[in-house]
Amino acid sequence: MRNRLTDQGRLDDSHAVWLPSPAGPGAATGERQVVSGERRLRIIARLADRSGGAVGELRLCEVCRDVTGLAGAGIMLLSGDLPLGSMCATGRLSELIQDLQFTLGEGPCIDAHRLGRPVMEPDLAHPAVRRWPAFSGPAIDAGVRAVFAFPMHVGGVRLGAVDFYADHPGPLTDDQHADALVMAGMAAEAVLSIQSDGSTGVLDTDIERGSNLQHVVHQAAGMVSAQLDVSVAVALLRLRSYAFGQKRLLADVAADVVARLLRFSEDDEDN
Amino acid sequence: MGDRPNRGRAVTRGLEIPREALLAHTLVALADNLVADFDVVELLTLLADRCVDVLDVSAAGLMLLSPDGDLRVMASSSEAARVLELFEVQSDEGPCVDCFHAGQPIVNLDLDQATDRWPCFAPKALEAGFRSVHAFPMRLRQQTIGALNLYRADNGRMRDTDVVAAQALADVATIAILQHRAVRDAQLLNEQLSQALNSRIVIEQAKGVVSERAGLDMEQAFARLRRHARNHNQRLADVAQAVSGKALAVSSLDA
Repeated sequence: MRNRLTDQGRLDDSHAVWLPSPAGPGAATGERQVVSGERRLRIIARLADRSGGAVGELRLCEVCRDVTGLAGAGIMLLSGDLPLGSMCATGRLSELIQDLQFTLGEGPCIDAHRLGRPVMEPDLAHPAVRRWPAFSGPAIDAGVRAVFAFPMHVGGVRLGAVDFYADHPGPLTDDQHADALVMAGMAAEAVLSIQSDGSTGVLDTDIERGSNLQHVVHQAAGMVSAQLDVSVAVALLRLRSYAFGQKRLLADVAADVVARLLRFSEDDEDN
Repeated sequence: MGDRPNRGRAVTRGLEIPREALLAHTLVALADNLVADFDVVELLTLLADRCVDVLDVSAAGLMLLSPDGDLRVMASSSEAARVLELFEVQSDEGPCVDCFHAGQPIVNLDLDQATDRWPCFAPKALEAGFRSVHAFPMRLRQQTIGALNLYRADNGRMRDTDVVAAQALADVATIAILQHRAVRDAQLLNEQLSQALNSRIVIEQAKGVVSERAGLDMEQAFARLRRHARNHNQRLADVAQAVSGKALAVSSLDA
């Protein structure tokens, strides 16, 4: 597949020919106020673009990344305070950011969803206010230097959050911030519009495909609930605390349980 | 050939605004209209009008799939009866119907040559003073929701850049409409999404319980849950919920 992005993160495909020249990441902050319509249009043009990938392929996370010019992006679906799983991630590090949050139950998406506002950590290694004690270490070790999360909501309906990361510390420019804000809203609309294609009660295949809904974790929770004769909710907590104690991802621990390499028992305090 | 001929182009020429800038302006206006609570018909009318301004065509209209499954005209650049009639007749045959079903654009179709293909539509279109017709699908992913229909009074060809521009305009309108529907039904759709996600989670949990208790792998565990649901005429999600919540013992599942 041809590379459709220039190094400024701009589109060079046919739809972009008529777009107003974007005040992208390279543009000086505040030099030009871009109206909301233009921002939405740039996002729509990318969502509608047919030139890349297979027809029907959803590239929401790629559009999130490209529109802001940041290193990567991921979309986490949440219900209440519970992460339901990752809808998409642009690459290895974005996947890790989602997995860590799923494992630990803390992180930028979870805060953005809970607080209903953007959450910024421009310098993960030297934060002004220390937060996410468990999330930060492994994320920094992997090369994440800054994370930004924006809640996905449509009116009062909250679906989760989009996270963006950078491999160098520093705040978002005003343009990036505004783009991310508009993008998160449009991502929420897109998720709902995809689900509206599907039949009631069934997850639309476009959401299911490419998402990581952590099936193995829920299978393992079911197994551990039988092993310990506890509820699945308690079993999931046990799995989480075991993974945290072992400094492993929940999904990896769960895979061991499902493969019957790891069992939990009542009298095993280590578990 | 619409009842407001050359309206936009005259302005364009007078001010010497490049077409590309006008098109960019149109797309921005469309996107601006998407903010908050926009009216779909208003947006589509704006789009139809701008098609005439920007693309080298005489009339434009948009047809959308109605809940009954018919294509209905939603917006037209002209309110002249002879033009509107052309859209109405297309509930049965014509470029919009063909384009809608194939999901492919129809470009530069000479109406003189189309009387066999569309015995009802083509003569009417010729009579209305049009020589060629174009249709672009309004399509996103697997969903086609309508078609953009363009008419020319001469049989000159549409420029390649105009063809791409027309499809871009149709794409923007498509996303606008789909997102609008999503926003309108946000509460309901989110409940359906959460319910669907939760069903999946509960089924996975139940597979784990069955797998552990009965010593089966996940596939076999799933088959057992499904068989029990079928035999007892229950929904899989309900059986899974009962197993995962320990209301139904694995030993009492049909083997």
